[in-house]
Amino acid sequence: MSGKEITISPTTRIEGNGKVTIRLDESGNVTDAHFYATEVRGFEFFMRGMEADRLPFIISRICGVCSTAHITASVEAIESIYQTEITETAKRLRELLLMGQIINNHSLVTYFLTLPDFWFPLDEDPSKRNIFQIMRERPDIGKKAISLRRFGAKILEVIGKREVHVLSVIPGGLINPLKESERAVLLKEAEDSLETVKEALIMGKELFDKNWADFKKMGNYRTHYMALTKDNAIDFYSGKIRIINPEGTTLSEFTAQDYMKHVEEKISSWTFAKFAYIKALGWPEGIVQVGPTARINVNSRSTTELADKELQEFKKRFGSPAHYTILFDYARLIDLVYAVEKTIEILNRDDLTRTDTRVRVKAKAGRGIGVVEAPRGTLAHEYVLNEEGRLEQLKLIIPTQINNQAINLNVKDAATEFIHNGEIKPGLLNRIEMVIRAYDPCIKCATRTSGEKLSVEIRNRRDELLTVL
Amino acid sequence: MIDVLSEDFEIVYSPTFIDLKEIPNVDLAIVEGGVRTKEDERLVREVRAKCRILVALGLCATHGGITSLGNILSLKSLLETEYSLTDKTKLPELEDLMYPICSFVDVDYYIPGCPPMPLLIVHTFKSIVSGKQPMRFQSVVCTECHRKIIAAKLDRLYGVYEKEADHELCLVSQGFVCLGSLTRDGCGAPCPRAGFTCFGCRGPPDSMMYRSRDMYAFLVKVIASRTSINEETIKAELYRNPFVFHTFIFSSFERAKAREKVI
Repeated sequence: MSGKEITISPTTRIEGNGKVTIRLDESGNVTDAHFYATEVRGFEFFMRGMEADRLPFIISRICGVCSTAHITASVEAIESIYQTEITETAKRLRELLLMGQIINNHSLVTYFLTLPDFWFPLDEDPSKRNIFQIMRERPDIGKKAISLRRFGAKILEVIGKREVHVLSVIPGGLINPLKESERAVLLKEAEDSLETVKEALIMGKELFDKNWADFKKMGNYRTHYMALTKDNAIDFYSGKIRIINPEGTTLSEFTAQDYMKHVEEKISSWTFAKFAYIKALGWPEGIVQVGPTARINVNSRSTTELADKELQEFKKRFGSPAHYTILFDYARLIDLVYAVEKTIEILNRDDLTRTDTRVRVKAKAGRGIGVVEAPRGTLAHEYVLNEEGRLEQLKLIIPTQINNQAINLNVKDAATEFIHNGEIKPGLLNRIEMVIRAYDPCIKCATRTSGEKLSVEIRNRRDELLTVL
Repeated sequence: MIDVLSEDFEIVYSPTFIDLKEIPNVDLAIVEGGVRTKEDERLVREVRAKCRILVALGLCATHGGITSLGNILSLKSLLETEYSLTDKTKLPELEDLMYPICSFVDVDYYIPGCPPMPLLIVHTFKSIVSGKQPMRFQSVVCTECHRKIIAAKLDRLYGVYEKEADHELCLVSQGFVCLGSLTRDGCGAPCPRAGFTCFGCRGPPDSMMYRSRDMYAFLVKVIASRTSINEETIKAELYRNPFVFHTFIFSSFERAKAREKVI
């Protein structure tokens, strides 16, 4: 087994397909590893020339999973060009939509994608290591997973008017106000979901404790972190963007309109996914991570009760900033708790069903940026519209692009940890995939491509392909 | 939806949910997404060879989808502008265009939509399992829309953000470019019902699937009859905007195939 390359293809239980290659030296130890995105769709190209009218609805097609974050960032970018100030009612409904998306996405990732890794022993038969097997063993857990995900989808359907690819978010606000009857339906389901999410938290923490000693070996990479912050509290919709250094000190804090002054992107020859980094620090010093752990690292509190209690416990236990890669899975549960609590808080507001959801917009030319926290981290859309109201330039900085380098470094670390002398024990390659899974990467977003292939190749030094997994 | 489907099917392969790296032989395969690279092409051919029934799910698989807008720009310019450094040895070779899967393999059922409504998917698979022909939706979105069509008197068309839509009147009668009149039904018209124009994500209906049908001329006539704006003005307005037909213009690939297979 001297000098070769290992391939994992396609990587499974992540959104989109990808591929990992691990290069070994003559004695079978890891010298390099990469996580690939292998397709391109070219949204940045064919969107040019599109009228602002159609832009948000079409661009949200970049991704079916985090489409709501894309349409919101898109509409906010246009509103910043038009200098439109939307109503408080519209703001609350948009925030509610983002919460629906977090519930929808995080319940999918937590139960369907990552839970099997925590549930089954390391050497479990790979054909059983999935949610369907868990559902066979514990139908009650399957039911909870599905009901929680349905609740997220229900919010999107009621307020967004479509369950996937919502359409109600438009420049100027929202198309339709929320009816009292709709609010009542959502509130009832929200209370049940809070119970479900509390149980998920207990189960998640138990499984985490059981596996922690083992799982913490999977990467502990010290980087910068970035997230939205509002009075030092987690926020998905408004506030400023803050970057902290690996020690936890604030490096910079800025508004959405200054985003592109602080974040830069680069391409690599071997993947269709770009890499984003902090401009002031350059490459590769400016590596930064976004997502569930980053949101906790950047902020000191949460505005909802249970989420804040859990956030404080998290910080106490793992330090702040917390660096262990696998903590993304833990932090995602805290996001989930927050999203359900916040949903209930917003739904209970007296003024939520006001009918002033829309203001008139006046088209203007110019440049503008929209930033929100998507499920996987900070998402930014920048547009330049011309006098005809058409898109002249666009730049999208997507969470998976920002985490791209950290994912690659972690894949290498994990491979180095688990592969010695060319020997690969059963289940260990899945550990490498778990590192990727922790980031919940969305390759479709990172490359704006359709149906990426993610796969791991083991190659030797002469670049001969030995295995494809 | 997964819970409904798992009642009738044993799900054996799915990179999103299951850690199986090799595609096994199956009774039924569902393919999402179109073909942009040679690797996609290889994969879709492999799936076809290993399944008895093949279902194309979603507009990218059935028609090429929004990504087909990339066909406007050549692959060459795409690579030269942005991915000039691309290492061809490590990445799959791109196809010249974005294709729907039927360009490479025979498809047994098409379920277009971005995304298709869950009801449509569940109905189709339940029918297949019970050996029945799924109910097909052959008409247009207007038949599922509650709005009242009138011959209004307008002098121009409006952008969807320009004014607030009346809740009872047809969007075209209000001057919005709604594509419901030439889009396949089966979705329940959620977009026009909410006050947003239909943008055609279900693709053309049966009547528009003959190559001889000029959808463009048809749309001009529909708008003219519902707004009283003269046809030349409408044409000028529509030609100005190349994206009106963004999902339709590339659907000619799919129009060549049997209509009877489109759900």
